[in-house]
Amino acid sequence: MMKNLRRTSQILFLLLFLFLFIQTEYKGKDELGIPVRFFLDFDPLIALSSFLATHAARKIFLLSLITIGMTVFLGRFFCGWVCPLGTLNNALGYFRMRRPAKKADEGNHPHLRKIKYYILIFILVAAVFGWNAAGFLDPISLMIRSMAIGFNPAINGMVRAFFEFSYKLDLPGISPALDSLYSAMTGTLLAFEQPVFRQMISIALIFSVILGLNFIAPRFWCRYLCPLGALLGLVGARQILARVDVNGEKCISCHMCNRSCQGDATPFPPGRWSSRECLVCFNCRDVCPATAVTIHPTAKVTGDGNVDLHRRHILTTAAAAIVAVPLIGIGETGKRPHPQLIRPPGALPEDEFLRKCVKCGECMKVCLTNGLQPTFSQAGLEGIWTPVLVPQLGYCEFNCTLCGQVCPTGAIRNTSLEEKQKIRIGMAFFDKNRCIPYALGRNCGVCEEHCPAPGKAIKFKNEEMTDNNGNIFILKKPALDPSLCIGCGICENKCPLTDKPGIRVTSINESRADYQLYL
Amino acid sequence: MADRRTFLKTLAGGAAFLLTPAGKLSSYTSVTGKNTFAVVKGRDTAAAVRKAVELLGGMGSFVEKGETVFIKPNISWDRNPEQAATTNPLVVETVVKMVLEAGAKKVIVADNTCNDARRSYKRSGIQKAAQTAGADVPFMEKRKFEKMNLDGDVLKDWEIYTEAVEADKIINIPVAKHHGLSGVTLSMKNLMGLIGGRRDLLHQKLSGSIVDLASFFKPELTILDAVRILKANGPQGSTLNDVERRDTIAASTDLVKIDAFGIDLFGDIFKEQGLSGFPHLQLAEKRGLGSSDYRASGYVEIDLGQV
Repeated sequence: MMKNLRRTSQILFLLLFLFLFIQTEYKGKDELGIPVRFFLDFDPLIALSSFLATHAARKIFLLSLITIGMTVFLGRFFCGWVCPLGTLNNALGYFRMRRPAKKADEGNHPHLRKIKYYILIFILVAAVFGWNAAGFLDPISLMIRSMAIGFNPAINGMVRAFFEFSYKLDLPGISPALDSLYSAMTGTLLAFEQPVFRQMISIALIFSVILGLNFIAPRFWCRYLCPLGALLGLVGARQILARVDVNGEKCISCHMCNRSCQGDATPFPPGRWSSRECLVCFNCRDVCPATAVTIHPTAKVTGDGNVDLHRRHILTTAAAAIVAVPLIGIGETGKRPHPQLIRPPGALPEDEFLRKCVKCGECMKVCLTNGLQPTFSQAGLEGIWTPVLVPQLGYCEFNCTLCGQVCPTGAIRNTSLEEKQKIRIGMAFFDKNRCIPYALGRNCGVCEEHCPAPGKAIKFKNEEMTDNNGNIFILKKPALDPSLCIGCGICENKCPLTDKPGIRVTSINESRADYQLYL
Repeated sequence: MADRRTFLKTLAGGAAFLLTPAGKLSSYTSVTGKNTFAVVKGRDTAAAVRKAVELLGGMGSFVEKGETVFIKPNISWDRNPEQAATTNPLVVETVVKMVLEAGAKKVIVADNTCNDARRSYKRSGIQKAAQTAGADVPFMEKRKFEKMNLDGDVLKDWEIYTEAVEADKIINIPVAKHHGLSGVTLSMKNLMGLIGGRRDLLHQKLSGSIVDLASFFKPELTILDAVRILKANGPQGSTLNDVERRDTIAASTDLVKIDAFGIDLFGDIFKEQGLSGFPHLQLAEKRGLGSSDYRASGYVEIDLGQV
């Protein structure tokens, strides 16, 4: 009974997650109007690490207190009933669980359970010293990023390839029907345009490995690695309302409970059940052939089954984090800004930005032009997978404020359109050795045509020229007005020189930081 | 019987027309009978559009029953109608209605936009207006472009939006705008929204390219939206200071006439260079696409007034 209820909850939350994921795209309204970052908002690890790293709380973090409060009473219900990554792991681990066991407790590795606590300690201590590393391994962040950058483009590409093939085949009756289906799916289930992301394959691979771990042990990630699981395990250790009670007199030592346990919480032997590991799935109770397992609020929590976190190990981990923070900050990006590090409009000054950004990829998913891409080296090691605008892939749309709307931590401020249109994210420079009018002496002007800044940051300077046949003509040379350029990059994006544009934006003069001013 | 009825109808219509105070004919009224260039001014945009087409013989003389008609407004930019960077939605809506009233089976309204298509369709107000009036307003999806031979002076093989070519008729509805490179963007340049591929390359030979497009697509009818004209910082505009309200609609089958008239709309801005500053007009004339002397014959101008 509980199993059906739990599965229903898991499926509903997974569907909600997918729905919100698909809605993280422009759907015809300037304001998304849908709380697409719902799961991130309720994620206490995001809230806690951001709070520790920035020493500032945002009102939205209060939502995660609801998760904390419920966990106090229900234990890790979030992992067992809500978490979309948990549900994926659960589904994949199911196949592993179904295989007949060669020995009792196969697939259970209680000695690995402590890893996640050390990961959590590392993240929290690093956060205190200013490095917000939660985003790498926070399950919600991890999942949104992996889906947005890795899986979504792949799935879109495959589905599109199918429909494009059908369109080209032009089968009477079938192709037109499929084509109208395709048009209806575009912008609804499918992305409006095929998403293209740098590091798609590596990010998808990392996620695939995490999913693949289920074949070593079911829910390997949730049991042994997940830092959010560790945090919730500690918070919910009392598990006030749903405690597992194994009656030693009735128990026939069949190990069925351990084998079906989602969290490797060792209900058997009696008295060894670990509330920190329990995902409140009720499997132990449901499978017990001797009805020795009951779940009720009055059972005693001995804590004997909990993993021992040695003080020495805790201190070592904390020390490692303390050492890692300054180490990771040593790099050339700390010395001078990277020219290609064009942050989205509303991004905080780099230092603060890195403390807040959890690399969830929401901004990249929602970006109208697909211009926001995950960094690799532009922001240093600590800034990997944070958003950077790559104008040649997509420019910053003048009338769009979506990235700020979806950012869960305020690393990108949610600004009004009016304010956003005045934010400089970089500045364009002509490469006169390549720009067509300068280099080749013929008119072009595509950049001037597309410049959205009021009054135009690119203006023509007319010059009388003589062509090869001796005819006099007016050459319109584009020139940049630095007082108007906001660095949106549409000029670079639309330049006919598609390999290496004749005008390129770099991060100089971005308004978020005085160290980037050029005058 | 039928003849007499038609005669009476015409008579009644003509009388009504002459008796309407707003229907004041200007001194340029064509005397030869058949109008080839109609200019209608008036605050009531829908009425002005209807009147302009009516003066050319009514939509029925351009669209036949059961036809598929492709309407090409300018939806290039993520701008609102007041900014005059896109065709006035009311003009589009009225033309869609008229085409359907003339018995067309299907009306398609689309453009290959410069800014994001979703934003441009939405913000221009054209998507909603055209859909409400009964048109299909699809986004131009990549697979529906096909390479075709244009056999032009500049453009040889180029990607063309197939639905535009497959339609029985194309109606071109540009908006009159300033353009940094070409001075103005009017009816011929508007046709760039029917092609795909690397359009950014065409700017290097813009005049030749748009004449090629005009001679390839040969729109059945062109209606110039000069309800608001964008006088500077075109083609996408920015501040409303650059916009001027003119409440003018021009219609003709001749794109060259439309463009010449459009240039004159900007008055002082191009006074110095005159029409000779716009090489695409001469190119188009040379190709036999029409005449830039729009007042020569068949010119009619009406002021419907402020009501």
